[in-house]
Amino acid sequence: MLSQSQAARRAGALKELAVLDTPEEQAFDDIVFIASRTCDTPIALISLLDDDRQWFKARVGLDVRQTDIAQSVCQIDVDEADMLVIADLTRDPRTAANPLVTGERAFRFYAGVPLVLRSGVVVGRLCVIDTKPRPEGLTQEQMTLLRALGRQVSDQLDLRRAAQVSARLLELQTALIEISERIRASDEAVEMTSAAAAVVGRVLGVQRASFGLVDPEVEIVDVEADWTAPGIASIAGRHRFDDYGALRADLVAGEPLVIEDVATDRRTSANTAAMYALDIGALVNMPVRERGRTVAIFIVNASRPRLWTADELLFLRSVADRLEAGVARLRAEQQQGVLNGEINHRLKNMLSMVQAIASQTLRTVSERAPVESFERRLVALSAAHDVLLQKSWKDADLRTVAKAVVETVGFSERMTLDGPSVPLGARAALSFSLVVHELMTNACKYGALCVEGGHVELTWAIEDNDLIVRWRERGGPPVVSPSRKGFGSRLIRLGLTGTGGTELRYEPNGFEADLRASVEHLAQA
Amino acid sequence: MTIASHEPVPIVLVVEDEPLLRLFAVQVVEDAGYEPLEAANAAEAIAILESRPDIRIVFTDIDMPGGLDGIKLAACIRDRWPPIKIIITSGKPLPPRTVMPAETVFFPKPYRQDRVIASLHQMAA
Repeated sequence: MLSQSQAARRAGALKELAVLDTPEEQAFDDIVFIASRTCDTPIALISLLDDDRQWFKARVGLDVRQTDIAQSVCQIDVDEADMLVIADLTRDPRTAANPLVTGERAFRFYAGVPLVLRSGVVVGRLCVIDTKPRPEGLTQEQMTLLRALGRQVSDQLDLRRAAQVSARLLELQTALIEISERIRASDEAVEMTSAAAAVVGRVLGVQRASFGLVDPEVEIVDVEADWTAPGIASIAGRHRFDDYGALRADLVAGEPLVIEDVATDRRTSANTAAMYALDIGALVNMPVRERGRTVAIFIVNASRPRLWTADELLFLRSVADRLEAGVARLRAEQQQGVLNGEINHRLKNMLSMVQAIASQTLRTVSERAPVESFERRLVALSAAHDVLLQKSWKDADLRTVAKAVVETVGFSERMTLDGPSVPLGARAALSFSLVVHELMTNACKYGALCVEGGHVELTWAIEDNDLIVRWRERGGPPVVSPSRKGFGSRLIRLGLTGTGGTELRYEPNGFEADLRASVEHLAQA
Repeated sequence: MTIASHEPVPIVLVVEDEPLLRLFAVQVVEDAGYEPLEAANAAEAIAILESRPDIRIVFTDIDMPGGLDGIKLAACIRDRWPPIKIIITSGKPLPPRTVMPAETVFFPKPYRQDRVIASLHQMAA
């Protein structure tokens, strides 16, 4: 007798093998051919025992691919996992009334060996059949060879499955790498989730893949990004879990909700109409967890019932984890941005206060020029901070810093800025902006910017791992070397990194300055 | 700056919640030769505007306590007192796509006094 649980195990194993209703394969065809020759029978079959039928993966001498399970001789005593030999089927009570025996096919002799997978599950038999009874049965050698061929079939089934699994794993792995890359490249959550949905939809061959945020009570899901196969409607928008069945319990517990057939699953069978309206025959909802709570779900829908393999579920788990990490990274970056903005705001207010105090304190000073210089330097420093803030205080590009200073002072139409992109560390950016500010202030007072038609070239280049900044004034008034070194010219002499490397030349056709510093030093400073 | 004696001195309303910065802004307005009025927030500013129809220019900070910020105050002024000119200042960069009301200029903080004074003169002219 067939034990129910063993029949269920067999059905499960066959489903996993994914072999039923597949085309002929040479390896199996060869084995039935050898079996029929070895045992000298007109018929040889590989019979796989499904719930309600036996299906032949390979056959010799028979024109059908399957029969009703009730007509199967192979299923007799199959779970005993031993060879079955029936010398005359008409004389055996188990087969005497079988239509295959009584009918025109006239089966008489039967010998079959069990197909035992590595897991121990018996999935069917390799059998040979004759239309004449054989009281003598098979020879010892034929039996030995038939057993060996049976083991070959079992091995082929296992190997075939292993090859499928590893090919599938490779596919899923590749998809996961693609998803990770696209998450890394995104700086918006919706971009991350829709990229992941598209890849998942394609690799699982499903009809819909979506991502939705879940409320704290896990009652409602707001589906955001939505990938659908052609002809399948989007489910973007708000949905209430209870409208679709008893789905919440698993999700609240953080367990994936896995349904292979909405019609038979106890959680959805009471209300299949809601699912079918959305073309859902099978589904997975993979929870995305944050601090032990389900905050979102990754949704996969198939329009027909479908088996979800352990590998596929593991894959979806990994996708959900990566999305969570990606979204957490975005949130951290946003918080950092807000924090940086707040720090900058306070810094600006502090600089404004310093300006206010200085202005009040120095009100009675009769010489106004130094007071005004102070204010201008303060404003130049503040402008350099803005540039650094845009880069989250990491590093700024030299051109951006120079442009910010030029815009603060004015005269941008009489300045030429030219050079490659050079990253400046935070300190170098501040020093550089103060130096450019001083050079500009001097040019406004004594140099090329104090007369009509004068102009300044500010260019920079990398030479032997050094950055060289060149300041060239042209078209200004006659150049006079200053008699006294004020704070401004000392600031200029401190150079790009505060350690010198500055050369000033009071040439007859215009003032020139060369500032030099190592690129490495600049990016670190 | 010279202002003809028969003309009234233009009145500038300074709106700033930080007292020290308000003091400074008031000084800048006085240095420009105008008469300053002071408000510590947008609500106060509106109350003063309602009682003083002679205000020509409003010089306001953006970040202020009490719900109504400088940008919204400026929009409100543009709506209710169209002739008034507005100068806005802030320690924060303007948010991208901020729509500034017409006849409004912006100075990031800290600002250069000479630039603000030049702007006041232009608006009062």
